[in-house]
Amino acid sequence: MACNNIVIGIAGSGGDGVISAGEILVNAASSDGLFVFMLKSFGAQIRGGESSVRVRMSSEPVATQGDKLDVLVVLSWKDYMKFKSEMLLEDHLVIVSDSADKFPEENIPIPEEQRKHWYKIPFTSIAEEAAGTSLAKNIVVLGAIAELFGLPKSSLKKSIEKKFAGKKQELIDKNLNALTAGQDYVRESLKKTDSILFEYTPGEPRLVMEGNEATAYGALYAGVEFYAGYPITPSTEIMHWLSVYLPKYDGIVMQMEDELASINAIVGASFAGKKAMTATSGPGLSLMAEGIGLASITELPIVVVNVQRGGPSTGIPTKTEQSDLMQAIWGSHGDSPRVVLAPSDVEDCFDCTVLAFYIAEKYQLPVIILSDAFIGHRKESINPNRIRDMRYGFKKINRRLEPTQDELEDYKRYRYTSNGISPVTWPGVENGMYQAAGIEHNEYGFPSADVSVHEKMTKKRWMKFHDIKREFSFERFYGPDDAELGLIAWGSTKGAVKEAVARANDNGMKVQAIIPQILFPFLIHPFHQFLRHKKKVIFVEMAYAGAFRRYLRGFIRFGDFGVETISYRQTGGAPFTVGQIYDKIVEEYEKKDV
Amino acid sequence: MENITYTLKDYKSDLKPIWCPGCGDFGVLSALMQALVKLQIPPHKLAILSGIGCSSRLPGYIKTYGFNGVHGRAIPLATGVKLSNPDIKVVAVGGDGDGFSIGAGHIPHAARKNIDMTYIVMNNSIYGLTKGQASPTTPIGEQTKTTFYGNMEEPINPIRMMIAYKASFVARTFSGDPKNATEIISQAIQHKGFSFVEVLSPCPTFRGVEQFKLIREKIEYLPETYQPTDEVKAFDIANDNDFIRLGVIYRQDRPIYTEIMKKMKEVSQKLGKPDIMDLLAQFEP
Repeated sequence: MACNNIVIGIAGSGGDGVISAGEILVNAASSDGLFVFMLKSFGAQIRGGESSVRVRMSSEPVATQGDKLDVLVVLSWKDYMKFKSEMLLEDHLVIVSDSADKFPEENIPIPEEQRKHWYKIPFTSIAEEAAGTSLAKNIVVLGAIAELFGLPKSSLKKSIEKKFAGKKQELIDKNLNALTAGQDYVRESLKKTDSILFEYTPGEPRLVMEGNEATAYGALYAGVEFYAGYPITPSTEIMHWLSVYLPKYDGIVMQMEDELASINAIVGASFAGKKAMTATSGPGLSLMAEGIGLASITELPIVVVNVQRGGPSTGIPTKTEQSDLMQAIWGSHGDSPRVVLAPSDVEDCFDCTVLAFYIAEKYQLPVIILSDAFIGHRKESINPNRIRDMRYGFKKINRRLEPTQDELEDYKRYRYTSNGISPVTWPGVENGMYQAAGIEHNEYGFPSADVSVHEKMTKKRWMKFHDIKREFSFERFYGPDDAELGLIAWGSTKGAVKEAVARANDNGMKVQAIIPQILFPFLIHPFHQFLRHKKKVIFVEMAYAGAFRRYLRGFIRFGDFGVETISYRQTGGAPFTVGQIYDKIVEEYEKKDV
Repeated sequence: MENITYTLKDYKSDLKPIWCPGCGDFGVLSALMQALVKLQIPPHKLAILSGIGCSSRLPGYIKTYGFNGVHGRAIPLATGVKLSNPDIKVVAVGGDGDGFSIGAGHIPHAARKNIDMTYIVMNNSIYGLTKGQASPTTPIGEQTKTTFYGNMEEPINPIRMMIAYKASFVARTFSGDPKNATEIISQAIQHKGFSFVEVLSPCPTFRGVEQFKLIREKIEYLPETYQPTDEVKAFDIANDNDFIRLGVIYRQDRPIYTEIMKKMKEVSQKLGKPDIMDLLAQFEP
């Protein structure tokens, strides 16, 4: 069975080099011009423990990790058991495992009919023989599966050379030997019983990026000058990347003592006129809530990235969830306007970050980016032209509005204006002195407990939403406008929704999905347009309490459109599969016809 | 340096302090303004940042770049400003509750990183803005609104704490002695690195007018021969309960954070400063 779309899962213990194997495979596929998607999954252990990787490659663009595995590679069955609920298996599954693993076969939770094609290969001893160390067994695996399924062999060799570039030639040779040994073993000692064969025409190499890297790169591209943060899974890679590159461009990266310090340091940096950001995850966002309110009332631009994880409290830190929506939109006491953006894939992390700085600077308010572990930690093919041409190129670099010399004569930092935006100075600007205050203040920034001032200032700060709503229209539509069944989703669920909608339409069901990129302020018009022909909409979200549906119902009276709403949600952990959403579409579609 | 000579008038804002009559913070405000005149710091090249509390209202009373932030976060706020613009003189101000209770977690880090800023704590050993609750420096036995039966908690000794944190400049002064306060604050602002000044700043409203008297009785000025570089001696002074010694108690010369950052930038740039678009090469397979 020749195919141009294959999903391979590898599970093992931390020391087995599972993630490295996935990365080498993804790089090999990308250098042959394939579209890739790679998802890592870990246990909670610091080092070692269990880890798994899933690689999907295709000659067509891919939006998800693929529902089910065509190929399951197991280096340790004991560790596989930890991922069994995350790794769904195709009926035509091919299993490749280490024959040295003594795990009792009867305890492996894979039904008989999916065990038909099972290759047991002595990875450990092949590695020891070819490379002198069992550490190279992940490379033997790559050789073996490349030979078995027709994966890009010469590119694998290049990827290995690149991975170990700068290391001793001896080490590179050992790994290349391991690769060849894996291939040789399959060719000489195995009889292929399955029919999976990956076929493709090699093309131009593609870039591969992780979501957190795209966010960090987007920040640099947008001109970030100051980053202060505190390590927290799954966001820390943003800080790692910036701590290497930001100093090169005269920026500052500071590791603070906690998230309270991080948020206040970036507010301070913004007060000093710099483009400032931080990145965190749920628990950190909770701690930053007060500081976000401070940026809101002092009208200082800041960008806060929240790479969501399962919650509440410590929750399930290495896994994904979309349960911080309300916290991002409303999380801070008082009426504190901020903009909330939601990237939906790796490229979008770049877009959203550039956009976040643009909005923050122009409108002088905090912008929160709601990414999640599913986007932050996955690798995807990137279209470099999308970055080069930058859809939002016109907004590339901008800075906050400065006062004119005339305005500095009697400088009112918080002057009431028709759009809520007042010119801002920073320390060093002569005659521009003012007091920024978390306390309610008058136009000069001086404290005021006058009720009418509070009312006017609150209005001024929220007034900015008018122009933001006018300036942007972010919604993404998938499927025909006249579909009567609709799906509404946000953020990382986009991939699965997009593929499920495409499949449904291919199968003769008319379905349309809408994925907003800007969540707050709420842009109502695209939704009205979307709802014109709808009779029923399904909200898809990875959050048990269904906050997204509740949130939207605050803006849209679905009943007025004659639209029935259905909530399809699950807790975080494993991302939605295309099949799950497709099945839900079928279920609701059929009901609709009754 | 500009030709203009800055006088008190140039630092005075249009805002009238909300402090109670007789509040020690008036003396601190006056001493700080005198220090600014003495040092001729251009008002636009200065930033004064604070958290919440009576004393945290101070930035508004000086005509400069002021920031009245949230409770306990003056130090990280000031850190952000200083790192963003090393040419600005940065002063964080606040009270004992703001600094040693809710904001205590930030002090050791600004001190160990040696952020080039001055931190002035107006210590009155009470929460004034919320009208008279115990603070982390309220003496044992003192009755406050939250210690009706007398405070039973060991108070923080700010000087001892700061020396232990390796603050590179630790001094104590008294708002009732504006001359000394001006001198100490001037030295603190001139110090390269993290300088801490505890100003004993009585609260007549909630701790009674006798607080001034009690402090005055125990005050002793450090002799001119005193060498503040000896850490052991500095601890002895901090631990002395019989006297309240005023002056620069501890001082140390250490690289400041902005210089460390500058060096780091230089090292990173030596390794190349590619065009931002060229960074995409690292994502090639």
